Amino acid sequence: MGTSLKIAILIVLGLVIFVVSPFFGLETISPASLLKGLDPGDADVFWKMRVPRAVAAFLAGAGLSLSGMVFQALFRNPLATPFTLGVSSGASFGASMYFFLGGSALASLGGVGPLFASLFGAGLSVAMVWLITSAKGGFSTVIMLLAGVVINFFFSSLVLFVQYLSDSNDSLRIMHWLMGSLSGLDTPRLADLAFVVLAGFVAIRLIAQEIDLLTAGEELAASRGVKVNRVKLIIFITASVVVGSVVSLAGPIGFVGLMVPHACRLILGWSHRILIPAVFFVGGAFLVLCDLVSRIILAPAEIPIGIITSMLGGPFFLWTLFKSQKTGDLF
Amino acid sequence: MMISVKDFSFSIGGKQILFDVAFDLPKGAYLSILGPNGAGKSTLLKCLLRLHEKGTAKGSILIDGKPLEGYSQKGLARLISYVPQAGGWIPPFTVQELSKLSRFPYISGLSGLTKKDVEAVDRALETTGLTAMRDRPLKTLSGGERQKAFLAAAVAQETPIMLLDEPASFLDPHHTSEMEKLLIRLNQEQGLSMIAVTHDLNHPAKTKGLALILRKGRVMYFGDVPGLLGKGVLEEAFDHQFVYLENPKSGLPVILAE
Repeated sequence: MGTSLKIAILIVLGLVIFVVSPFFGLETISPASLLKGLDPGDADVFWKMRVPRAVAAFLAGAGLSLSGMVFQALFRNPLATPFTLGVSSGASFGASMYFFLGGSALASLGGVGPLFASLFGAGLSVAMVWLITSAKGGFSTVIMLLAGVVINFFFSSLVLFVQYLSDSNDSLRIMHWLMGSLSGLDTPRLADLAFVVLAGFVAIRLIAQEIDLLTAGEELAASRGVKVNRVKLIIFITASVVVGSVVSLAGPIGFVGLMVPHACRLILGWSHRILIPAVFFVGGAFLVLCDLVSRIILAPAEIPIGIITSMLGGPFFLWTLFKSQKTGDLF
Repeated sequence: MMISVKDFSFSIGGKQILFDVAFDLPKGAYLSILGPNGAGKSTLLKCLLRLHEKGTAKGSILIDGKPLEGYSQKGLARLISYVPQAGGWIPPFTVQELSKLSRFPYISGLSGLTKKDVEAVDRALETTGLTAMRDRPLKTLSGGERQKAFLAAAVAQETPIMLLDEPASFLDPHHTSEMEKLLIRLNQEQGLSMIAVTHDLNHPAKTKGLALILRKGRVMYFGDVPGLLGKGVLEEAFDHQFVYLENPKSGLPVILAE
């Protein structure tokens, strides 16, 4: 099958999922009734809740998948994701601090408070990974991954500590949010997320060829004319800002950044010129689908979307690990 | 393209690795860098490629009279190509894709490969005899074929200077000899200047080129092969005795470790 046909199929599938998703939920809304004109109650549910939610899920999925993809190319390791590098837990720490201090100092920030808090946390964790690795001289992949693991633990325990200090109300909010959920969606903030994710997409697309070369190895990339450190910096900043924004809105939704890039590479190969739009699109559609499942599988109850992705992601992670041990190399 | 290294010293983390290295390499020369393990061969090669950012350098490296730092990253990549040591990371690309990546220094902005780029890649694959294997993933190749694919990628970069880090290590005798013939052809027929780090003491004689011997970061010898033989230079450099013979077939000197 040709690459263009594969891409066409992925786009059609993704569009179908995106368009169909808002019709399902606690009550199914039929396309026919949408065309005839919905009654005000259904119209509110459809246009003010389900459509924004599908958009949010799409943006979150696209952003997390893109970030995973660039981290994997940078570290030449399929297990490098916003989570394994500690970016998500940094962002989570930032957001839980916001919930903890929510009533006081940070409240003046209003709706963008959680965003700034998450970005601050994500930035903090990236800065720490950066400092640890550069202190060891050079950007060794092994050291960077290990630093990510350590920072992950560090921030996870800080989140637990914040939870411990919080009253039961805040603690519950933090816990629910940590599961990763799109249920308490703050619709006005969708525009911020859209801006960040689309800007991230453009930034990454602009360095597609450099990312290809980085995949071939840093020395090789430099000898082919890539300004390696600058590209690394762009990747780090872009991915951290995107992950921070997604986490601030939807909590740490795990494993998307692992599964989607991997699946796309299996289907489409390694050229990032093709991979970047594919990962963006498939990642978005995948999370819309997961969100749909999370809304209907135990209806009327709704499970946090992070639980769905983790249930899929855990086995996938193990499969990647076993496969990589068998073939002796990670990709 | 003349390379000129002037009193070049280099240290990383307070540890000095190269001491006042100096040599002038004329255009089209084939230089083999020899020396015991830890002598600073790879460091010198990386300094020539400007791959060492952590570390302090003194002295200068000039290409055509212009200091290395004066070149842009892409500008340098249009002058010097690089074949990494065999046995490292295997990129997830096919033979042809790897060569296409080498056209990066000629691409501006978001534009893709032009007809000229595709032709350069085709030529490189033909020169290295890899045309039939162009669509094979690097992972499925033997070590010898894969090393040739890396060489093809460097050829596709169309630079006047090529740097190689132990181009034939880990290869069997057949592939070693094939690789050597290719490198000699590139040097003698296409006029590329070659600089190769190698452990093969007979490499400089086969290439009819120059040898540079490093020991503890200092240049012990720089010159042609006849000047190197039987003067105790190798003995001192490697702290070992050698026997000098002549290959009855080619008439070239053969150096054997005792």
